[in-house]
Amino acid sequence: MLFAVLLPFLASIFIPFLAKWKDRIHTGIFVTLVPLVIFIYFIQFLGTGFQPETRSYSWIPSLDMNMNFYLDGLSLLFVLLISGIGTLVAFYSIYYLHKSEQLGNFYVYFLIFMGSMLGVVLSDNVFVLYSFWEFTSLSSFLLIGYWNHRRGSRYGALKSMLITVFGGLSMLGALVFMSVITNTASIQQMITEKSIILNHEFFPLIMGLLLLGAFTKSAQFPFHIWLPDAMEAPTPVSAYLHSATMVKAGIYLVARNIPIFADSEWFFVIVSGFGIITLMWASYMAVRQTDLKGILAFSTISQLGMIMAMLGFGTKVAIFAAVFHILNHATFKGSLFMVAGIVDHETGSRDIRKLGGLMTFMPITATLAILATFSMAGFPLPFLNGFYSKEMFFDATLDLESTSNALAGFMQQALPYLAVFGSIFTFVYSMYFFFGTFRGKAQISELPKKPHEAPIGMLISPAVLVAGVIIIGLFPELINKPFISHAAASIYGGEIDKHIYFWHGINLPLIMSIAVLAFGTILVLTRTKWEAIYRFIPGPLSMNKVYDGSVKRAETYSERITKTYMNGSLGRYFRLILGAILIITFGFMAATTGFEFNMAYSAEITLAEILVAIMMAVAAVGTILAKNRVAAIIILGVVGYGLAILFVIYRAPDLALTQLIVETVTVALFLMVFNHLPQLKMRKQAWSTKALNLIISIGFGALMTLVAISAHSSKWFDSISSYFVENSYKLGGGDNIVNVILVDMRGLDTLFEIAVLGIAALGIYGMVKLRSNKEEDA
Amino acid sequence: MSNLAILPILIPLLAGMWLAFIAKKLPLARGSAKLLSILNLAVAIYIFFHVQQNGTLILEMGAWKAPFGIIIVGDLLAVTLVLTTNLVAIAAAFFAPKSLSDKQEGFYFYAFFFWLISGVSGAFLTGDLFNLFVFFEVLLMASYALIVLGGGKAQLRESIKYLLLNLFSSMLFVTAIAFIYAVVGTVNMAQIAERVQEVEQQGILTTIAVLLFFVFATKAAVFPLYYWLPNSYSVPNPVVSALFGALLTKVGIYSILRVFTLIFTHEPGLTHNLFLWLAGLTMIFGVIGALSTHNVKLIVAYNIIPAVGFMLMGIGIFTETAISGTVYYLVHDMIIKGALFLLVGALAHLAGTSDLRKMGGMIHHYPFLGWMFFLASLVLAGIPPFSGFIGKLLLLQGGLAEEEVIIVIVTLVTSLLILFSMIRIFIGAFWGEKNEEITVNKRAADGYVWPIAGLLALSVTLGVGAEWFYPAIQSIAEYLMAPELYIDSVLKE
Repeated sequence: MLFAVLLPFLASIFIPFLAKWKDRIHTGIFVTLVPLVIFIYFIQFLGTGFQPETRSYSWIPSLDMNMNFYLDGLSLLFVLLISGIGTLVAFYSIYYLHKSEQLGNFYVYFLIFMGSMLGVVLSDNVFVLYSFWEFTSLSSFLLIGYWNHRRGSRYGALKSMLITVFGGLSMLGALVFMSVITNTASIQQMITEKSIILNHEFFPLIMGLLLLGAFTKSAQFPFHIWLPDAMEAPTPVSAYLHSATMVKAGIYLVARNIPIFADSEWFFVIVSGFGIITLMWASYMAVRQTDLKGILAFSTISQLGMIMAMLGFGTKVAIFAAVFHILNHATFKGSLFMVAGIVDHETGSRDIRKLGGLMTFMPITATLAILATFSMAGFPLPFLNGFYSKEMFFDATLDLESTSNALAGFMQQALPYLAVFGSIFTFVYSMYFFFGTFRGKAQISELPKKPHEAPIGMLISPAVLVAGVIIIGLFPELINKPFISHAAASIYGGEIDKHIYFWHGINLPLIMSIAVLAFGTILVLTRTKWEAIYRFIPGPLSMNKVYDGSVKRAETYSERITKTYMNGSLGRYFRLILGAILIITFGFMAATTGFEFNMAYSAEITLAEILVAIMMAVAAVGTILAKNRVAAIIILGVVGYGLAILFVIYRAPDLALTQLIVETVTVALFLMVFNHLPQLKMRKQAWSTKALNLIISIGFGALMTLVAISAHSSKWFDSISSYFVENSYKLGGGDNIVNVILVDMRGLDTLFEIAVLGIAALGIYGMVKLRSNKEEDA
Repeated sequence: MSNLAILPILIPLLAGMWLAFIAKKLPLARGSAKLLSILNLAVAIYIFFHVQQNGTLILEMGAWKAPFGIIIVGDLLAVTLVLTTNLVAIAAAFFAPKSLSDKQEGFYFYAFFFWLISGVSGAFLTGDLFNLFVFFEVLLMASYALIVLGGGKAQLRESIKYLLLNLFSSMLFVTAIAFIYAVVGTVNMAQIAERVQEVEQQGILTTIAVLLFFVFATKAAVFPLYYWLPNSYSVPNPVVSALFGALLTKVGIYSILRVFTLIFTHEPGLTHNLFLWLAGLTMIFGVIGALSTHNVKLIVAYNIIPAVGFMLMGIGIFTETAISGTVYYLVHDMIIKGALFLLVGALAHLAGTSDLRKMGGMIHHYPFLGWMFFLASLVLAGIPPFSGFIGKLLLLQGGLAEEEVIIVIVTLVTSLLILFSMIRIFIGAFWGEKNEEITVNKRAADGYVWPIAGLLALSVTLGVGAEWFYPAIQSIAEYLMAPELYIDSVLKE
């Protein structure tokens, strides 16, 4: 099983080399074999007696991140869809993508996607699941941006990435949270520990974050906006990722977690609520599209909404219908995307306003299209699979478990009507798609190419899918027990014994279907009359504007915010830094009652000391007020010499001497340098800035003084200096303790301080020299 | 064997001296720089394995026994970081000749480079607070020299801000050390820890701890102290930016990690909570900065800041999982920041501009560079299974175990925005119409590629092969959460 997941990744390594021979052999031929092998491997698991299987491969066991695969009915359904449709799409792409395209890139992304998607649906380990999940988003990003010279592709790619990665990260939050509180990374383990999750105080947050991940990936309202723009991708990609597989990852995630969350009342309200709104909104919007793939994109969104809603119901019928519809949708929608690709390929246009009357030019394509669209519309014919699942959907809306929650109760009342509403528009856009493209008057002159039937190779894949539509339609029981019952059972957590009939007798669901048919037909025939409604609903409102606005605002606001403090003024930086340190440190001092004052450790204060201190303070203030540089540095010298006097008073003649030399040399150096500097000017600053500077400097000085006093008053330990006094002669062989410390006891410090001086000298030399050289060059 | 511990400091110090003397003989200088950095790496690898098997290396300099002399403490954390430093250094040594002008190389680039490495390694290895200050000076002085090397006006303008703000924090550092010495009467870190523990960090000690935190936070570029960073990191030569981005802020984070797991651990409700707040703000404002500009170098420079927030978050949460997240992220961030600065440097050089709005279609000319950039963006944003994810996962686990929900959500949002800021570069610079007018310099590109590819390969290995590294990181976290281990190993008797 590990091999099956890794096979696409391994194969992708060889693609760049195979792509070198693309002129002789189309790279797609090799690629088609990969999903085919995987499909054949997994199909052996099918059968009435199927039991879930687990396979564990350790990867990062110390982080509990292992390739633990769990193949149950639900995973098997997805695995077969991914590999089965993958085979057909790869085969189709051989004819769709010309050899002059960058085939290597395309198939690498394609295979990475396939492997990741298999990983998503097979991983029981949440961290591994998340890893694969992000990789589906990334490969989707690269595939949408495949023709990245187009602005639309770049826009669509970024949009899909931001929205799906946003969802992915919030899902990560939920998964990590769940794994932390249940102490396991396995979803199956979490299901057995679900009471911990359900009773956790942050349960609403966990569920919210997880559903955000699912809703963004499965393009639920209002996150659906990325999917229409994803249609910039080559059509095989749209058929594969953006209709049959990747967008169903969100559905998969919800289905997988139903055993944990279904006990919560809010799960039904949120999941079904978002699902049904998505169903209605997207089917309504689909009728407005003019791009064939745009219609199909909105159609996909609305069908995903319908599946999501059914998962929210959580009843046996609903879950069974949801699973059944996942399969059915993949068959008819996959084939419709391929049909749209054929139309695009053979006429050069996907604009439904230019198309029409293509039935006579491409009869086979039209036949495939009519079967698939009518199945999508839920037309009551005994050989169309779409009808069965649609009928079950209606059945499910009528058969919900009773609830005490008022909101849930209201929703239950409304659901059947909303479902019918959504289905009417589904019918309308299906008819619009088929009749707009294949019937009516042909406008050959409008089209870039003269239309003709597609090559046989391109027709095989959609034909296989349409055959699936019909076979499931004619013999639904064929796939029931061996296949979809297992999938439904693994979501529901118990056996589901359901039979699929065409004829149920005259009951409410049938009446609903007939209503859909009747109203739908009326709306189709009168479409030109009511189209104006789109000018009011949605009118100018759209989620796209919200997205575009936020992306744009993210840039402008962040620029504005950053510019307010990053203005390049050193003065402001210092104010902010000192201000922050001041406030926080004072806060801490107050909170810990850190201030201490204790005279016990202080020597007596003499008059001489007081005088020197006053002199130094006066000089320090004077430096700031001095009008020119020379005066300032001389007054500053007073501070330095005052310090030297203090050293003398404290009986440290060597320090006093050092201080005197340092002070004299620096003052002299400064005086020499000042000759070359311009006059000191009064800086023009606002009064308020000056006041603020004053407050901050005085505050900071006060802070340091208080901390210093407190530190001095808290002598709780003997200093290690007594050791130096005792041992400087004994062990260090020197009378001068300071010298022994500098060159021996802490010789390393001294060595590196000397190094610092050396570096400084060399650095200044380099700075001066290299710059002056530059000027010579100029 | 304990003398081993000084080698990562000594070799680059001597190497710097050697290169200062032969600086003008460029071929010799380049060759020696490469060889010496390989030698230094080999030593670092050897020390790493030695410490992993035999435990912490303690070296009492000049045989002055602790706590009286200076102690070099080669524990697993220090040697891991030294090893990572040398990995980045090798990439820089090989990238430098491709990126610098002959004059810049001739004016002691390699000498400053090795002294910087010496200072950084010293900061990781020392067990003495005052000696830490000295190594800070060494690395800062080397960085001042590097940042102005052969610079134009912009470089000088930004470096003066860099210099003054760092000078201020150095002054604060010495002052804080003086305060600590006044209270506990020692500068040996193990003994400070022992004594702070004895008086349960009472009185003024927490206040001094906060001051010390601000010193390190200025170096680490924590909110609201990072103003000096973005511009000063984006103006120098790419190889200098890469060294700074990879190493300098990390020394700050390392110091916070060390001091607040070893010494000031007794008031986590106050100090570590402050870190959590600042971590969140650092992430938010940092990533906002990354979105605020079209200058590709500046975008990467701003991206240093949210990463600092991630690491600080782990220290703030202060559990074993969170600390191991911080350490993992630290190692990851050193490598990926090095790679990213080299990448955008190469990109800006090949495109002839740093302005994203003027670039486009570069992937058609430089596909390998483009894909490396894409990969680096994923690594940076913490997409699994690369190295950024492992650290982030540990931080999230640590945060959620303590129910620190808000900071976790901030982390997730920040990750998304980091990815956005990087993908913007990928889409804007690499995608788009093939520009036929641009002069394609394949040879320069080929020269840039390998050092970057090496660093990226490390990043990928650090993620996919986390099982090889995580046990070591975990034992570091375990060790950090038990400060008595450090204290006992230094103050044996």
